[in-house]
Amino acid sequence: MTHDQTPSNADWRRALTRFVTVIPHTRELGLEVLEVAPALTTMRLPWRDDLLGDTTRGLVHGGVLTMLLDTVCGSAVLPALPAPEVCPTLDLRVDHFRPGVAGQAIFAEARVIRITESVVFTEGTLWQETGRPLARGIGNFVRLGPRNTPEGFAEALFAEENGHA
Amino acid sequence: MREGFGDLEWLARTRAEGDVEAWLALMPYARRIGISALPDPQSEGLLFRLEPCEGNVGNVLLPALHGGVVAAFMETAATLDLMLATRTPRLPRIVDISIDYLRTARVTPTLARCSLLREGRRMGNVRVCAWQEREAVPVATARLHFVLGDPAEGGA
Repeated sequence: MTHDQTPSNADWRRALTRFVTVIPHTRELGLEVLEVAPALTTMRLPWRDDLLGDTTRGLVHGGVLTMLLDTVCGSAVLPALPAPEVCPTLDLRVDHFRPGVAGQAIFAEARVIRITESVVFTEGTLWQETGRPLARGIGNFVRLGPRNTPEGFAEALFAEENGHA
Repeated sequence: MREGFGDLEWLARTRAEGDVEAWLALMPYARRIGISALPDPQSEGLLFRLEPCEGNVGNVLLPALHGGVVAAFMETAATLDLMLATRTPRLPRIVDISIDYLRTARVTPTLARCSLLREGRRMGNVRVCAWQEREAVPVATARLHFVLGDPAEGGA
């Protein structure tokens, strides 16, 4: 990507991959970014045994689902803004429809519903099997604005674009 | 049935002994992020603690803990607290959580205390407050609903 171009969906997929790879928690869990469009971001969390919250019944820890919704909703905010801004989570609500089960990757998607001057409203969904959602999340994120976004934040997201083979 | 949350005798015994460690041992994600329980000097109940592990960082620039990890900590605290606080052994199953992020959670130890605001026949409501330096300056508050399962019937 050059500076005077709008990032493509593929540019954004690489940028958000970089974003979740820089975050220690999601890097260590191996979170993958599958697709990014301005309004919809999709990710995949590969299975690993320490996602469990109940080893006797083989159920995913509910907190994993909250963490994943926070991550996918917070990531979806970035490509939806006119220019990347740091947007911390203001609040998050998660409804648990059914428990996640051991052995299967967890898919996550989030869409931006509305952007105002100060807040970005998002919704996310998680599933293991298509059509059987595990949880829904509603996350609101505060726009800190260009003034409170560190210098070079956007550039850092798109760094190394030209360095890859 | 082998020992675990579905085993009523085991659940009743660990609960009577206040053996929260035995419960945490069955929760790999809670162990991964470094959750422990300690006696609350101010009450009969428990305080919960989240270790400031490098793997819990969600923002390397500030740096700050991952908000989702703080939420997972508060949910675990609420679940364990509820399992001790109910009148009889119950198996909580989360229905929903709503968390407000009040301040940046720095990479330092985080503590939490829970209150069981309602224990109904089927539902429980728990409020959690998490702080770092001082309890009067919380980093996050959360409220959660749980279905209170009957362990004799194998859950909820």
